[in-house]
Amino acid sequence: MTRSAFSLRTIELDLPAFAAALNRRLHEAGVPTTAERAARFASALELVRPVARRRLYCTARAVFVSDSSQLRAFDSVFWSVFGDREPPPEPDDADTSSSPEQPAAAEGEPRSGAAADGGFADSSKPHAGDDVRDAVVPMVASDEEVLRGKSFDALAPDELAQLYALMARLGVATPRRRTRRAKRDRRGERLDMRRTLRGSMRTAGDPIRLARRRRRVVPRRIVMLCDISGSMEPYARAYLQFLTSAAGSGPRAEAFTFATRLTRLTRALRSHSPERAIQRAAATAPDWSSGTRIGEALKAFNDRHGRRGMARGAIVVILSDGWERGDPALVAREMERLSRLAHRIVWVNPRAAARGFAPRAAGMAAALPYCDAVLSGHSLDALEEVVEAIACDEPVAPAMTQATPEEEDWASATPVPGSSVAMPSGYGPSRGRTTPGWGSDGGE
Amino acid sequence: MGSRDATGDSAGEISHLVPDVETLARRLAAVDYLADEGLATSMYLSLRLPQPLLLEGEAGVGKTEAGRSLAGVLDTPLIRLQCYDGIDAAEALYEWNYPRQLLRIRLADSAGEELSEDDLFGPEYLIRRPLLSALQHPGPRPAVLLIDEIDRADDDFEAFLLELLADAAVTIPEIGTIRATHPPVIVLTSNRTRDLHDAVKRRCLYHWIDYPTPKREVEIVRRRVRGVSETLAVQVADAVARMRDSDVQKPPGIAEAIDWVAALDLLGVERLDEAAVERTLGSVLKYGEDQEAVRAAGLAKLMAP
Repeated sequence: MTRSAFSLRTIELDLPAFAAALNRRLHEAGVPTTAERAARFASALELVRPVARRRLYCTARAVFVSDSSQLRAFDSVFWSVFGDREPPPEPDDADTSSSPEQPAAAEGEPRSGAAADGGFADSSKPHAGDDVRDAVVPMVASDEEVLRGKSFDALAPDELAQLYALMARLGVATPRRRTRRAKRDRRGERLDMRRTLRGSMRTAGDPIRLARRRRRVVPRRIVMLCDISGSMEPYARAYLQFLTSAAGSGPRAEAFTFATRLTRLTRALRSHSPERAIQRAAATAPDWSSGTRIGEALKAFNDRHGRRGMARGAIVVILSDGWERGDPALVAREMERLSRLAHRIVWVNPRAAARGFAPRAAGMAAALPYCDAVLSGHSLDALEEVVEAIACDEPVAPAMTQATPEEEDWASATPVPGSSVAMPSGYGPSRGRTTPGWGSDGGE
Repeated sequence: MGSRDATGDSAGEISHLVPDVETLARRLAAVDYLADEGLATSMYLSLRLPQPLLLEGEAGVGKTEAGRSLAGVLDTPLIRLQCYDGIDAAEALYEWNYPRQLLRIRLADSAGEELSEDDLFGPEYLIRRPLLSALQHPGPRPAVLLIDEIDRADDDFEAFLLELLADAAVTIPEIGTIRATHPPVIVLTSNRTRDLHDAVKRRCLYHWIDYPTPKREVEIVRRRVRGVSETLAVQVADAVARMRDSDVQKPPGIAEAIDWVAALDLLGVERLDEAAVERTLGSVLKYGEDQEAVRAAGLAKLMAP
């Protein structure tokens, strides 16, 4: 590395101070920064001549950002520390259209001649693409939506602790699946050559004892989607507790909340202290107790996470009353997509506990054909049933059909509050009328 | 970072080849990979710091291609490790050559010589899998190691990679630690099916690859499909941009745009029209629902000025 070639000093900026300030501000904004990264930034600056702010920005971004969800927070911090509030526009299309051998940065800042011909493709602006940028759920509450953050911990602290202690004992477990990874097993189906051979050295190369391996069995992933809209408010806190205890059950748990938008809580909930987890979740979910758009939330989940593999073979638990502000047809469509990916879908609807419950809520009715189980989960006892349903590993049953929302035979047949359970996989009262694939025409 | 001294010559080679970000971008363009400034800066830092580079982005935006092009720029082999569920050290790093070991045991037995474990578990009985071959690449310039779709592997495998990412070294219990003489340029790609562990991210530079602007996409497409008319490339880039904006489950990436243009070119289409789109829609939209959605909105809309 030839230091002399670089002209860092010509920039009228105290780089160490700038680096330190940036590091601190990023940390305050919730972007995880370490001394290691700051040091790396310093060496990066020695390598890259920050001839323009844009270059400085790219350098800092490459070093400090470790997830696309941090980009927004990073951008706002960077441009507030350095230069305008708004990032300068990316080089315009007009001057880079014909050839790659054209100036890359067009920010009006003079650039040294030797460095002036870039060859950069101008990708879409880092701020313009709402579709791409918003395709990532920010882990850190970055800017405008924090103000709507309402504290989750409004429950009395002792109640909260009690409830949590009880819920922690629920022990959420999912059915298992075989992985491709093998482990030692005396009666495994595969030969373990490495160990067999090593053993055979003792017997002059004759493999007398065959070591075996068996494919490992792991629990399936559990994905929980919790409705925190206004209509769910009385239940949402308790359900969040449930999410916390289930999310703590292992690395294969994912938790989301939704009302008007989908927020990923997995990281926020992964904490040893439930109170802190819930506080963090409150800071993360900006749409607490607003309206519901189940269809859009499901679509967002399918597009961003489910399709990519999170929902594949997973147990999906949806906690919602099914009051949909948007188009129920969208709920049906997205539930169908989800049901093609997921191993089982368990819908927890606290209103199912009510006497004479019928899935009249448009969203619930639309979703019903694609649910493998619908449970109330409105009390701790009822939540235990939910846990059972999650652990249940029956083959996915033909979707339950509900001829019209007015016919409520399966719901009213189990009128006992607290235990209203509809299991479509065989022992629901409407079993005889269940027709596979009949679903969507009648349910809406 | 003690490995820096031992690798002075390969670092010198790289700094000679890519003295600055602009040169790297130009050299990438010379192998038909058009990187924007952010990506070029990240790749440059990854080469020079040196530090593994983690690339994320939608499917088909050129993550894998970035690694391949980097190998093209350095004129070194690309060693690719495709990750999958259940991949382990025996498939990624090394495996012992059992038949050969067995023969050796037999040989020693018949010759009546004493055979120790060290004889049997030596380098000559080692089968090198991608990670080990990347570490033992003879140089003079380092190999490019592409660890593709790391999110498909499980978290045990991530933990296994940490030593490689941090120190460009691996430990084989029977032999000891193998340190790279020319530490490979490591590019990891992920489709975000799950979050990677922080320990992995901490050791990497990170870049999120966006879709390019339509104009840039035209250029990429024309470089990848030689001889295609500019009119067609522009029309396809516009149509693809509209599909991305519309309500489709899987927005087409650059890869799909290239496939589409190649398909149209093969059919002798010179201007995009409804009939041509209808015939070739399957090369750009891979979900029946997406095709339906685009048809319902009207294929003509894709070509509206």
